[in-house]
Amino acid sequence: MKQKITQRSAWDRILAKLNKRSLWMLHYCTGCGAIELPPTMTARFDMERFGIVPMVTPRQADILLITGYLSIKTLKRIILSYEQMQAPKWVVGFGSCTINGGMYWNSYTTIKRLDMYLPVEIYIAGCMPRPEAIIQSFDTLINRIDKGVANSWKDYYTNYDFYRKNQEKVFGEIETYNDIKSDAEKFGIK
Amino acid sequence: MNTVLWIIFYPLIAFCIGILYMGYSRKFNARVERRYGPSWIQPIYDIFKLMSKRTNISHGWMHDISILMLLGGTILTLMFIPVPGFSFFSQYGDMLVIMYIILIPSLGMALGVGETANPNGSIGISRALMMLAGYDVPFALSFIGMGMLNHTTSMFRLIQIQQAHGIASWGIVTNPLLGLAALIALQGMMGEKPFEVYIAPHEIATGPMTEMGGKFLGMMFITHAITIFVELTIFINLFLGGAVTWIDLILKQVVVFTLILSVNIVFGRFRVDDAMRFMWKIPGSLAVLGILFIIF
Repeated sequence: MKQKITQRSAWDRILAKLNKRSLWMLHYCTGCGAIELPPTMTARFDMERFGIVPMVTPRQADILLITGYLSIKTLKRIILSYEQMQAPKWVVGFGSCTINGGMYWNSYTTIKRLDMYLPVEIYIAGCMPRPEAIIQSFDTLINRIDKGVANSWKDYYTNYDFYRKNQEKVFGEIETYNDIKSDAEKFGIK
Repeated sequence: MNTVLWIIFYPLIAFCIGILYMGYSRKFNARVERRYGPSWIQPIYDIFKLMSKRTNISHGWMHDISILMLLGGTILTLMFIPVPGFSFFSQYGDMLVIMYIILIPSLGMALGVGETANPNGSIGISRALMMLAGYDVPFALSFIGMGMLNHTTSMFRLIQIQQAHGIASWGIVTNPLLGLAALIALQGMMGEKPFEVYIAPHEIATGPMTEMGGKFLGMMFITHAITIFVELTIFINLFLGGAVTWIDLILKQVVVFTLILSVNIVFGRFRVDDAMRFMWKIPGSLAVLGILFIIF
């Protein structure tokens, strides 16, 4: 990781300073965790002061916030949404359901670990995490972007076979609309 | 030489002022909602972020060109609007030209959004064109009315006439009906609530902007900043006696913009047909009445 930091040019460092101030979030409200987001956005905790704003389409978003358990059916939609987002993009797993299945550990319809299917930048532990925890996790993400170490999104382009294998293990043959490998070549993501 | 410099730097100046207005509107909304709100230069961070995206999905060449048409059309409109120190393109008949070319950005966007083939985008753009038909009637009528009242089609000449006797000769004093109609039309023109039908984030996912990500959205932000400047300045030149100095201009812009934001923050969104009906009924009939006053 240290090597990567020193390789950044001065312009990249300036861009990181500017980019960390503007993060748009697509909150994919799969589970009960979504209830913690309104207080985070509104007057009491107000995350817009960090430049974090909820967005409504994946094309415009930078953060994919997954709030709660993921059924197999939802996971497919999340993968499609994630692939529509423009890099750099970050997945934030919210609540213990995304970490190890949480209280749905025994369920046959949910997946247990999110990072098998999508590259997760940050997990927020807890069932469920309070708005303070959400704000703190965004703060951590901002610091990581500033240092230039928030590169989990590159993993999806370079290590796509791993994620695809896991996805196919759950779904069987799936059809996605983006060719990740040719995108990686086209935009020079290494 | 001076004119050439103005032509080069005028869009830049308009962008810099417009971007501060975008920041101001976000801060204003936040303070009304009792939040601390983002920083004043938040839109600048947003534009840098959008422009430095690593991947950028294009849906075809029309998608690419439409964004240029959007920005180009807006800058073209800007050129015809006289401000203190620059009125080179404001000769005879420029008010009629502005009435036409102000439509170019919307049409350009329609072409591009058509190619993205997103249903939300298509609904959004059809709503945007419908709203255009709504607010353009009172706005065009107030243009024509002010031209008839002052016997001129030059915006520069109109400003001179309005500045002849101080506030008493301002358009909003000499013909308040037209001024009111144009002010309501301006609310729709700037896409603020209650006429926000074509953006409607909770309903059709920001409409025309649904498929625009990364650099496309960045260009749209830049265009939006210039558009705010253009629309406010048109209103000021028509009804608030233009401006003698830039400080004068910016003061008037802030006042009008704050008025529009105050209406924006307390209103919900009209339905499409309601917004359209309102636009033709209230500001439309106000403008017709204003013109009748001028004729008789």
